[in-house]
Amino acid sequence: MDGLFDNRLVITIVGVVAALGISAIVFVGANRLFDLAPRKWSIFSALIGGGSALAFFGLLWGNRLINQPVTTTIVATIIGAAAGYALSLTSDPRLHLGIGALAGAVLGGLIGATLKTSTRPEFDPVALVVGVVVGLAIGFGIWAVRGRTASVTRVALFWGALGWVFGAFLVPDLGGGDQAWAVIAATIGGALFGAWVGTFPNPDANARREIALGSRKYIFLTPALAFIAMTLIIPLIRTGFLSLQSGPPVDLSFTGLTNYADIFTDPTILNLENWTNMFTSQLFWAGVVVLIIGIVVARISGQRTGEGFGINGGSLSALAFGVILLGFAFFAVMRGTISNNLWWIFAVTLFSTGAGLAVAVLADRSRGETIAKSFIFMPMAISFVGAGIIWRFMYIARPETKEQTGVLNSIWVQIGKWSASNTASIIIALILAVIVAGILYIGWTGRQARRSSVVAGAIVAALPLIWLIYRFLGPGIGGVEIVDGVAVASPIFFLTESPFNNFWMMVVFIWIQTGFAMVIFSAAIKGVPADLTEAAGIDGASESQVFWRITVPSIAPTIGVVTTTLIVTVLKVFDIPKVMTNGNFDTQVLANEMWQRAFTELDFGLGSALAFILFLGVLPVMWINIRRMQRQREAVR
Amino acid sequence: MKRFRSVVILLFAFALIVAACSDDEGDSGEATTTTAGESTETTAAASLEGTAVTVFGPESSDNEAGAMQDALNIFAEANGMTITYTGARDFSDQINAQAAGGNPPDIAVFPQPGKVIDFGTQGFILPIPAELVDFSRPQWPGGTLETVSALDEVWALPNKTDLKSVVWYNSQIFADGGYTVPTTLDDLWALSTQMIADGVTPWCVGIESGPATGWAFTDWMEDVTLRLQGPDFYDQWVANEVTFDDERVQEIGQTIIDIWNTPGNTFAAGGTIAATPFGDNGEPLANGDCAMHRQASFFAAFFPEGTTVGPGQQIDTFYFPSADDTRPVLTAGTYVSAFRDAPEVWAVMQYLTSAEYSTERQRAQAARVGGGANSGYLSANLQQDLSVYNDLEKFFVETLQNADPARFDASDLMPAAVGAGSFWTEGTSAVNGDKTVADAFAAIQASWPSS
Repeated sequence: MDGLFDNRLVITIVGVVAALGISAIVFVGANRLFDLAPRKWSIFSALIGGGSALAFFGLLWGNRLINQPVTTTIVATIIGAAAGYALSLTSDPRLHLGIGALAGAVLGGLIGATLKTSTRPEFDPVALVVGVVVGLAIGFGIWAVRGRTASVTRVALFWGALGWVFGAFLVPDLGGGDQAWAVIAATIGGALFGAWVGTFPNPDANARREIALGSRKYIFLTPALAFIAMTLIIPLIRTGFLSLQSGPPVDLSFTGLTNYADIFTDPTILNLENWTNMFTSQLFWAGVVVLIIGIVVARISGQRTGEGFGINGGSLSALAFGVILLGFAFFAVMRGTISNNLWWIFAVTLFSTGAGLAVAVLADRSRGETIAKSFIFMPMAISFVGAGIIWRFMYIARPETKEQTGVLNSIWVQIGKWSASNTASIIIALILAVIVAGILYIGWTGRQARRSSVVAGAIVAALPLIWLIYRFLGPGIGGVEIVDGVAVASPIFFLTESPFNNFWMMVVFIWIQTGFAMVIFSAAIKGVPADLTEAAGIDGASESQVFWRITVPSIAPTIGVVTTTLIVTVLKVFDIPKVMTNGNFDTQVLANEMWQRAFTELDFGLGSALAFILFLGVLPVMWINIRRMQRQREAVR
Repeated sequence: MKRFRSVVILLFAFALIVAACSDDEGDSGEATTTTAGESTETTAAASLEGTAVTVFGPESSDNEAGAMQDALNIFAEANGMTITYTGARDFSDQINAQAAGGNPPDIAVFPQPGKVIDFGTQGFILPIPAELVDFSRPQWPGGTLETVSALDEVWALPNKTDLKSVVWYNSQIFADGGYTVPTTLDDLWALSTQMIADGVTPWCVGIESGPATGWAFTDWMEDVTLRLQGPDFYDQWVANEVTFDDERVQEIGQTIIDIWNTPGNTFAAGGTIAATPFGDNGEPLANGDCAMHRQASFFAAFFPEGTTVGPGQQIDTFYFPSADDTRPVLTAGTYVSAFRDAPEVWAVMQYLTSAEYSTERQRAQAARVGGGANSGYLSANLQQDLSVYNDLEKFFVETLQNADPARFDASDLMPAAVGAGSFWTEGTSAVNGDKTVADAFAAIQASWPSS
C-alpha cells in the first residue's frame, strides 16, 4: 500500500505539470508560428501542413480507429509538412491543385490502409451517390445565397468531398467492409479535400500579414472554446445522440425518436386522463370563489382610486391565493412525472418568491432584522439531501397505538386529543376567542383611523381562528378518529399519501429556497432610492401604496431573476425526492426518473432522452434570463 | 507576487483533484494489457506479493462489511497482498454507474444473478475460467452455477447464501396464546386468523428500503408462488413465459395484499406497510407488537440488543410452511464477478467461493456479533466447517440442504428493469393502494424488456 499513493500522486502531478507545460508551449508556439507567416511563408506552410496532418491522425489515434498509430501518424505528419512546403514553392494553379490532390490521396490511402477492421465501412453505392448529391446541393445552395462570388471548383471540391466522406464512412454500417474499399474510399475523399486545399493560391505579402494578425483572436479564444466544448457542447451533443438510440449500453442501435415517443405515451410519465376530476374537487371551487372575491375587491378599490383595477395587498393576495388553489386543484388530479415536475415549479416558485418577498419587506429596517433574516437564510446552508432526511424525521408517522415520534404528527395528534376532550376543547376555544377579540379590536381602531388595510388584515387574520373555534367546538380537528366512542390517533402519512405527498416534499425545497429569495429581494429593496419612497410618503401614500406602486415596480427585474433562477433549480430537483420517497407513491420527478432509467435499468437511450427534455425545459427560461441581461446592458449604454 | 502564489496554489489543487480522479483509469489501463492466458497459470502465492485487489459489494453494516474484510485479510496476509472491501447500501445503482463510467472495482459482489447475466452479456464482466468453475462446482449445491450461466459461460461464483423461507416469531406470544408452529400453509393462515380473533397482531410487515423499496413484497410473492403454483410455474414466471398479467400471478399478489390489509393483521412501525423500513420490523417483533415476521435468515442482525434469538429463545424461527408435502425453499445469496483480468484477481475470486472463506467469514462475523448469537451470515458451501455455526444457523443450513426444491429469488433473476425496477415500484404502489393489483402488474409486464 505504501508508496502506491505517493507514486500515483507524483505521476499525476508530473503529468499535470507536463500537460500545462505542453499547453503553454503550444500556445506560445502557435503565436510564434503565425509570426512566421509574413516572413517565411514556406516554413509556415510546411508547419501548417504537418500540424494539420498530425492533428487529424492524432484524432484517429486517440479514438483507436487506426492500426500502428505511432508510425502512421509520424509518416502522415511528414507527408503533410512536405505537401505544405511543396505548395508554397509554386504559384502555378494547376501544379498547386495536383500537389494538393496527390498529398490528400496519399494521406487518405494511409488512413484506408491502417483503418481497423472494426471501423472499415461497407460499400453502399446509394449512400455514396446520395451523400455527394446532397453535399453538392447544400454547397451550391449556400453559394447561391452568398451571392455566387466563390469559385465554383472550390465549392464543388469541398462539398463533394464532405458528401463523399459522409456517404462512404458515416452512413453505412462499419466493421463489415473489406480493406480495398476502405483504401479506395479514403483515397478519393482525401484527394478531393487535398485538391480543395490546392485551389487556394499562395497569398501575397499583404494577405500573409493579415493571416498573421487575424489568427490572434482565434489563438486566444481556443483554450476557452476547447474547455467549453469538452465540458458542455460535446456532452450535450452526445446526450442528444444517445437519446436517439435504444438497447443495452454496449449494443446501442439507432431508433430515431422512439425514446421520446415512449416518454410521452408512458402513463407513469404523462397521464392526462383524470383532468376532469378537477371540477369535482373542493380545492377548485374554493379557488374559484377566492378568485372572484379578489376580482371584486380589485374592482371596488379600483373605483375608489379612479382606476379600473385596484392593485393592493387585499386584491392581489386574494388573486394569488385563488391561483394557487386552482393550480393545486389541477396538479392534484394530474398524475405522472411531468405533471409532478410542473407542480414543483408552480408551487415552489410561487411560495419561495412570495414568502421571500414578504419577509424581505416586513423585516426591512425593523428591529432584529439581521437576526430574523439569518434564521430564515440558515436552511440554505443545508444540503438538499440533509434537508430531505431532516424532514423525513419531521414527517414520521407511527401506528395509532404508538406514541407519534414525528414532530408534525405528534402535534397533529395532540390537537386531535384536545379537540376530542370536552374540557380541553372549550379551554382552547376560549383562549382563541380572546385572541380573536384582540384582533378585532385592532381592526376597530384601524377603522376609526380610516386605515382600511388594518381592517382587512384583522378580518383576514380572524377568519381562520374563528374557523378553528368552530372546529374545536363542533366537528373536531386534528389527527384523531373516534372508533366506538374511543379517541384513536390517526396520523397523516405525509410521504405515502398521494397526491399531497408531493407538496410535503416541496415544503422542504421552499424551506431552503425562501432564504435565497429573501436575501436577493432584501438587497434590491435596500437599493430602492429613499427619496422616491419619502416623496410618496409626503404626498400621503400609505405603506401599502408605497410598496405596491414604488417598491414592487423598482424591484421588478429582481423578481424576474429570482423567479427564473428558482424555476431552473426546481426543474432539476433530484435529491429531495430521491432521499424521501425515491419516486414511489406518485412522487416521481424527471431527474430521478432519468437516473433510474439510465443507471438502475441501464437504458441510456431513454435516460438521455429524459435528460434532453429537462435541458429543453430549462432552455427557454435561460434564454429569457439572458435576453433580459442583454436588454439591461443596452439600457445602460 | 501574491497573485502568483495563488495561481500556484490553484494549480496544485487542480493537480490533486486530477490525481484523485485519475487513478482508477490507470488501473483499467493496466488491466487491459494483461492477457487472459497469463492469469490462469499463476496461482502460486509468491506471485501475489505486493498486489492489490478491490472488492465492492452491497453488504455495508459494520458486522457484515467488517467480517468480509476480516476474512479477506486472512487471505491477503497469507499472500502479502492487499484486498480492500467497500460496501454500499445502494450497490445496484453504484455498480451500474461505475461499470458504465469505466471505473469498476476489480471484483463485485452481486446480490442479483439477473444483473450478473446482464453484465455478462453486455461485456462488462469477465467469464469465469474453466479451472475456477471446476473448483467451485463440487463445493456448492447443484444448480448454483447454472443460475449465473449465459451464452455458454459462467459469469460469477457463489459467495454466500441467504435462506428466505423463514418466519421469525415471538415465542412468548406463542406460549401465552398456546399457539403451535404451523406445518402447512393453511395452518399458517388459520393461525393468523386465530390471532386476530384473540386480539394479537399476527404479522409485522414493512417493505421500505430506500431505493430498493418493495423487495420485501417481491419475496412474499415468490415464497407464496413457489408454494401455491410449484417450481415449474415459478421457472416459467421468472422467464416471463407466465406473464405478470396472468390471472394466477395477480391472484397471488391479491392474496398477499388482502391478508396484509385484513384489519388487525399487520403492525407497520412506520404507519403504513410501504413506509416502514424492512429493518424496523425487528424491534416490534421483539416487543410483542406482532407475533410473526417473514424475512430471510440474515434478519437475526436486526433485533434490538439483548434480544436472544434461536431455538427456545425470545425470538424463534420456523420454516415458512408449504402447501403440500414438498419442502420448497426460496434462497438468495451473493455471487462474485471479476472486472479485471489479473492473477491476483482470480486468486481472490477462488478464495471468495471456497469453503475456507465461508468458514473464516462465519468465524469473523460470529466473533463480531459475540456471545454465540446469530451472525447473520450463511453459506450453502458443502465443504465448510459446520462447527462454526450456532444451533439456529445449523437449522438454516439444514433447511437449505433439505430443500425440495430450492429456487433462487425470482426478482434477482429477472431483468434489472423488472427485478430491480418495476416489480419493486409497482408492487409498492399496489401494497400502498395507489393502484389495483391488476393495474400494477400490467405495468410490470409492460416494462419487461422486449428483446
